[in-house]
Amino acid sequence: MIKKILIVDDSPIARKMLKSCMPDDQGYEFHEAGDGKDGFEKYKDIKPDVTFMDLTMPVMNGYESLEEIIKYDRNALIIVVTADVQIKAIKRCMELGAYMVLKKPLKRDEILSTLLKAQNTLQKAH
Amino acid sequence: MNIQTESMLTDEEIEIFQEIMNIAFGKSAADLADVIDTHVVLSVPYIRIMHVSGLQDYFRDHVKDYKNISIVEQKFWGRFKGDALLVFSAGAGRELVNMLQHEEKSGFESDPVDILERETLMEVGNILIGACVGKIAELLKDVITYTPPMIIMEKYSCDAIYDSQYNPDSTAIVLRTDFSFDNGNVSGFLFLVTSQESIKWLKDALRIFIEQYE
Repeated sequence: MIKKILIVDDSPIARKMLKSCMPDDQGYEFHEAGDGKDGFEKYKDIKPDVTFMDLTMPVMNGYESLEEIIKYDRNALIIVVTADVQIKAIKRCMELGAYMVLKKPLKRDEILSTLLKAQNTLQKAH
Repeated sequence: MNIQTESMLTDEEIEIFQEIMNIAFGKSAADLADVIDTHVVLSVPYIRIMHVSGLQDYFRDHVKDYKNISIVEQKFWGRFKGDALLVFSAGAGRELVNMLQHEEKSGFESDPVDILERETLMEVGNILIGACVGKIAELLKDVITYTPPMIIMEKYSCDAIYDSQYNPDSTAIVLRTDFSFDNGNVSGFLFLVTSQESIKWLKDALRIFIEQYE
């Protein structure tokens, strides 16, 4: 079961938008980080089931944070949520170990199907 | 910045607008990357609200590290109305021509280099500005019309940026993102300057946009 969700994005409004797309009857526990470095630290601390990660962030960008997290936990489920929809950006995220790349602005049904897919992946892993 | 200008957009409205810009700049970078085989690296977008009288100093401050610059300018109007300025480091035109020649060699061979540079900068400007402003308009449910792109080549002339369409006593919103290509040879800024007239509409449009996420 997905319980803990970490959202890493420098924009508080983007974090709010993402949370608003998630079902509120699943009892998710949300954690937030405002940059990639904070995201990596929170990941180690919280051990979230799923992490949503922006790419363009100050201090440490999403690529670096993704790389650090995957080095730390190769089974981490990291969903990149980005406005940078260039093919090379998406390819790089997947090569670094992202579970999926979603394009901003987000859509509720896309988030729901992504969570469902992540849920299935977690169930298979256990 | 005085109290009046600070209160024109609330902190939350600025954050929403910043996120919209982030999406719009991402779209424009992707459109350009489709044309030339490179990855466009974007900074976090910035928003400044300032008096029109401070615009020249603001631009001059941002391009001071560039010996020469090339500017592509395109005006746009709808409910969201203003000026888009794409500022390239010197030599960007030549670099872009080389990148495009690599892509579609046959189209350029007979044209003089300076014409090619101008045309290439205008085309790249048109793609970046059109995709960016177009995406902002789409997200905020507006329809935008553009002037054709104009180029100011290889000049260190921020006077070109000043525009008499703005009342010098009024307020402007400046949106800026820094970009560079992953090969490191081209860098610059994209500025969008919108006038005070757009602010009332903008506040409503931002509220409507965020309501779908509440």
